[in-house]
Amino acid sequence: MKALIVDDERLARKELMKLLEDHPSIEVVGEAANADEAIAMVNELNPDLLFLDIQMPGKTGFQLLEELDSVPLVVFTTAYDEFALKAFEVSALDYLLKPIQAERLSETVSKIMERERTKVNVARGEGDKKLGLNDQVFVKDGERCWFVSLSNIRLFESDGNYIKVYFDTNRPMIHKSLNALDEKLDERAFFRASRKHIINLSWVEGIEPWFNGGLMVKLKGGDKVEVSRRQAAKFKDMMSL
Amino acid sequence: MVDNKKRLYWILQISVWGAYAGIQVVFSILASGQAISFKRTAFFISEAALFFMATHLFRLYVKRRNWLRLRVPKLIPRVLLASGLMGLMVYVLRIPISLITGRATVIETAFSPDQIAGLSAIYMLFFFLWATFYFTYHFIEQYNKSLKYEAYMTSIELNNLKSQLNPHFIFNALNSIRALVDENPQKSKQAINQLSNILRNSLTFEKKGLTKFEDELKIVKDYLSLESVRFEERLKTDFNIHPQSANFRVPPLMIQTLVENGVKHGISKLTAGGVIHVKTTVENNRLKIQIRNSGQLVNGVRKNKGIGIANTIQRLKLLYGDQASFRMVNENNNFVLTEIVIPQTLVTT
Repeated sequence: MKALIVDDERLARKELMKLLEDHPSIEVVGEAANADEAIAMVNELNPDLLFLDIQMPGKTGFQLLEELDSVPLVVFTTAYDEFALKAFEVSALDYLLKPIQAERLSETVSKIMERERTKVNVARGEGDKKLGLNDQVFVKDGERCWFVSLSNIRLFESDGNYIKVYFDTNRPMIHKSLNALDEKLDERAFFRASRKHIINLSWVEGIEPWFNGGLMVKLKGGDKVEVSRRQAAKFKDMMSL
Repeated sequence: MVDNKKRLYWILQISVWGAYAGIQVVFSILASGQAISFKRTAFFISEAALFFMATHLFRLYVKRRNWLRLRVPKLIPRVLLASGLMGLMVYVLRIPISLITGRATVIETAFSPDQIAGLSAIYMLFFFLWATFYFTYHFIEQYNKSLKYEAYMTSIELNNLKSQLNPHFIFNALNSIRALVDENPQKSKQAINQLSNILRNSLTFEKKGLTKFEDELKIVKDYLSLESVRFEERLKTDFNIHPQSANFRVPPLMIQTLVENGVKHGISKLTAGGVIHVKTTVENNRLKIQIRNSGQLVNGVRKNKGIGIANTIQRLKLLYGDQASFRMVNENNNFVLTEIVIPQTLVTT
């Protein structure tokens, strides 16, 4: 699998490259010295995995992730950052403490491979850059952050300049416009219900007719979303195959 | 605090001896079954006043002779002797009071040895109890004070340790050195020595002492050279040291802490890196140390003033009083200036 190393220190990158030589399953396709370089490389090389330093000049590793549309698997590398690691205890794939120990890296690599195996295999055409259910996004709200698989997000709701992201019991906000997001999402998986809402079709539980020729969609978990009249016909088409 | 203790003393003193007089009066009434005479009441009150005065004088004496500092084995015989003397004194002074308040019969028995010994011993017991209470109170108080002081010192030491042994720096340095082992073995050996120098200094660090300026400068150079391994071309350093700086002694690791701050909050935040410039000047027997780092303070102040800076200001104050100064400002759009000025001599207080 293709990996990108992001670290502002050349020696740190070099050391990780060297350690990764023992793991042929991981192919390092590039190195970035800061967040901006990294964003460009992620978009160009489309890596499956990021080794990401948290403390970097300019933008931090977190800020980098927030700017990515779709986030690859991420392994954090840090010398000492109790605070930041705490935020990730739950949802990070893994993290490595520098200096990185070879055995510890092996564990991480097996974790990555395990994760790859269990991933649902959905055929995805090359160059198909739309975000599907297998993609994950990075969401940060104050001091908490999550890697969320799009399959777990049932609803996006626009709220001023922000989007409220509904998953589990969380509703963090991301700074994006709903229109921009809509263009990136795979239309087979997500549906623009109205000016304010995008719903995840796999979470739809029930549909009722509503006023003015609209529809009321009930999602698993109890949220109800109105589908505008304009979109209702399209929605019916999609749901009836 | 002091006023509270004083007030407590007077309240206890008045209430205890007031109660003593009151109890005597009540018992006298109960024993005789009739109202007590004015003279008898005056006698009891005067007697209580005697105790009051005796204990008060005793307290003054204890304070003057610093008996509170004595250890228990030395204290007990002294207190016993003093209680005995006070008992005797009160016995003697009680005789004229008895006469004035109309108990003329006393004079016949007053000088019998049995009477003297018996009553003095009772009085002595009162004084001894009083002293026991007094000293116990002070011992407990001193014990609490020393506990508090100890806790305070420990917390300071902990803070120092935290600010000195910056784990982020140490682990990053070790990581760079690890990579350097393959790339440049010679340089990696040198880096290991520099790191051990810094660690040793952090561990033997003493708050109160001063260190030679040159020793401190060496640590600063070791530190910067290690950071250069990590930051490579992103960190440039520049020294401009006044030759007379060598005559000064400086608080250990103070300059290093400030330089480290400059790297941590300045250089490491800049993608293109920057410069750390250390300059000293000597004027009027005062050493001025200026550290400039690329970067900017946010709104003129570092967002959360770290333990390092707070400690530096506190240490300067403890060591030099008002004789030293500290400031940290945006010198221009590119540089942050951190400056300390220290005198050659310590304030001796």
